[in-house]
Amino acid sequence: MGRLIVHRVAMSIPLLLIVSLIIFGLEAVVPGDAASTILGQNATPESLAALRVQLGLNDPWIVRYGHWLGGALHADLGTSIISGVDVTSSLNSRLAVTLSLLVPTMLLSAVAGIALGFASAVRGGILGRFIDVVSLFGFAVPSFWIALILVTFFAVHLNLLPATGYQDFATSPTGWLKSIILPVLALSLQGITSVAKQTRDTVMEVLETDYVKFLRANGVSERSVRYRHVLRNAAIPVVTSLGLVSVGMLSGAVFIENVFVLPGLGSLATQATLDHDVPVILGVGVFFTLCVIAINLVIDFAYGLLNPKVRVS
Amino acid sequence: MFGFIPASGRRPRVTRPLMVTAAICALTLAGCSGGGSGAGSKTSSQLSLQFPGPPISLDPAKAGNGGSTMFASLAYDPLIYLSGSGELVPDLATKWGFTDQANEVFELTLRSGVTFSDGSALDAKAAVASMNYFLHAGGGLVGNVGQVAKIEDVSPTTVRITYKAPTPEAALTLTQYNGMGNIIGPKGLADPQSLLTSSDGTGQFIYDGATSVAGNRYVYKKNPHYFQPAAQHFDSTVVRVINNPNAVLSAAQTNQVQFASGSANTAEAAKQAGLKVQTAPFFNWSLNLVDRQGTVCPPLADARVRQAIALAFDRPAIAKAMAGSYAAASNQVLLPGTDGYDESIGYGYDVAKAKSLLAEAGYPDGFKITILTESLLDVNNTYSQAIVDALGKIGVAATLQVQTTGIAQFSGDALSKKYAAIIFPTAGTTMSQLESQITSGLFNPFNSTDSQLDSIMQEAAKAESAQARTAQYQQASHRLQDLGWTVPIFATQSVYFTASGLQNFQASVLNPNPMPVGPTAELSWRLK
Repeated sequence: MGRLIVHRVAMSIPLLLIVSLIIFGLEAVVPGDAASTILGQNATPESLAALRVQLGLNDPWIVRYGHWLGGALHADLGTSIISGVDVTSSLNSRLAVTLSLLVPTMLLSAVAGIALGFASAVRGGILGRFIDVVSLFGFAVPSFWIALILVTFFAVHLNLLPATGYQDFATSPTGWLKSIILPVLALSLQGITSVAKQTRDTVMEVLETDYVKFLRANGVSERSVRYRHVLRNAAIPVVTSLGLVSVGMLSGAVFIENVFVLPGLGSLATQATLDHDVPVILGVGVFFTLCVIAINLVIDFAYGLLNPKVRVS
Repeated sequence: MFGFIPASGRRPRVTRPLMVTAAICALTLAGCSGGGSGAGSKTSSQLSLQFPGPPISLDPAKAGNGGSTMFASLAYDPLIYLSGSGELVPDLATKWGFTDQANEVFELTLRSGVTFSDGSALDAKAAVASMNYFLHAGGGLVGNVGQVAKIEDVSPTTVRITYKAPTPEAALTLTQYNGMGNIIGPKGLADPQSLLTSSDGTGQFIYDGATSVAGNRYVYKKNPHYFQPAAQHFDSTVVRVINNPNAVLSAAQTNQVQFASGSANTAEAAKQAGLKVQTAPFFNWSLNLVDRQGTVCPPLADARVRQAIALAFDRPAIAKAMAGSYAAASNQVLLPGTDGYDESIGYGYDVAKAKSLLAEAGYPDGFKITILTESLLDVNNTYSQAIVDALGKIGVAATLQVQTTGIAQFSGDALSKKYAAIIFPTAGTTMSQLESQITSGLFNPFNSTDSQLDSIMQEAAKAESAQARTAQYQQASHRLQDLGWTVPIFATQSVYFTASGLQNFQASVLNPNPMPVGPTAELSWRLK
């Protein structure tokens, strides 16, 4: 397992380089730049030219990328062209918000999704059909629409939870909890339904296998069959699904942070992209890439725990 | 975690535990809700404001104008304050006026006893340094302050501005909306980068970069050295960046913000929720026929074609369809209530005459044109589509080219000289501002000039009386109508949602973007 981790970390270095290069290249070919953002519609060609020189935007893009990479290799991600704030500080201040959104969402998706999927597979009947319908609903309905419904009901009508905003855990644990409940619920729905559907299908498939019939025929208790054998054998596709769902949540967070006005990395990425704020775009891009690498590492680790053959290979 | 699915296959008794858990959660949350103001809610001495986007810059010399002036005006006092009703009020300057007949030399007398947040005193030298910094900082508002020849301190309390040309609206250019009048302290000028994370003004508040989150919330703490403590009604002010219209409404409804820029689409819901909905005319939506020499669209070189296009719009019907009671037909570049507005001016709606003019110009079957528009202000392009439909009725087949990535990119496209016409609103409270807008930048990428219009505006600049200037502005309005460069169609209103207890808020056609702070207790917003 140690070798696996070292291998994955080593592989992440070229991946980070490629991703940052792609982000930089894409930004270079998109119309507009930070100078036009700063000067707005009142810009004159002269003022634009002067500001571009000041910001170094006239340098070839590969030179600008080289400057950024040189800084990044020394743990300096630069400063925001628009706000003047250090990019690393920006990422740090927003990391807690995004993690407050993503970690509970992933946990809720895993726990609720597996529970619902397993229950519907073993019980079938109305519950099974209900899970199927809810899964389709979860796939079909965008999370921002769910967010609006949740806000209207819980914040505006019941006045129970805040409609927008985020509060630090350190400042007020209760305030923090209240500020993330609706965003987490909104972002979780698709994850829960996706995991539930995957779990249901896989468990039903495993329940039909010969070895399960053999276990039952030998008088192994139903509880043992379900929880010790079926669930474990069904786990690998479910874990894969969880990994995909978790990666998808990174992009979902961008929308949810916008609706709930959460100062997370998603909203930072959105604004930086609109502003052509390249150092910030690259900073967030690198961070999200690291997240994807970390999620894949966790999934690989989980495979190893669940399947001895993977450990051996 | 799977305890509710018993191995025996019996139907689980989950109802009671689930209900108990749900009830405990609900009670806990309700008990902690403290009245339901929620995260980020106000305290008794905090004012929470909403704005749709982050500031272009927190350096006032590089900041934006319009509503985004809010970010600068909380921390920086202007020399002259423009109130919500459009009145010029003494702020850092207590007196001002031209010292010559040509409206080129303008002097201001500074208030005494004012200090910057860096502790240094306001004097003419500091004001001159700040204004000169503004002129060379590379901000986007330099074009709004006239052609400044020099700025000098003629005494410790007197600042003199000499213009290269008559600038009758010098006082207006020194208000909070145009950058140059917002005075920055010496410490901030010595390190302009520090202005992005803190502030150095004389305003009611000091920007607190440490507790702010760039792009999300901007926190301002009360300035203990403010020269007019009676005008400070809050210990702190927070500007929250919320751009989703539904989130804006939710935040206002739940009192997370006491002021928000709303929209016509959500105004009725806001009213029903008990919010005050206040409006002021602002955007004059226009079809700007920028290719007046016919470079990319030859028919537009003929004034009759431009006149025909101007006759194609059933303005009252379009205004009603687009924004109901939050829009009105517009027939001229000036809005009702502004200096020079003339009710007799107007194109009217006459499809038959429009077709006749096109035929006279040699285009009996119309022609094709590509019109540039954007989707940030004209969300979903409903306005643009209505304009295209109206053009179709006189035989002009228009195709929309939509810029979706932002106004800056839209501006770049408009300046590229690829498009013969653009859909974009004009916004201004004086003919001088509007004429400058229409004859420059994205409204005039082909650099059209008209000697008659120039002459009228020069006469207006030199006018010695307000009446004479008004007459010149009316002439300019007539001339613009004849030229048909910009075809106004309808004017939309800025819509604001304010908490029912918010007092001293006033918006008008002369100032559609009022600020929360002012130099007197009556001009600063407060909560009842």
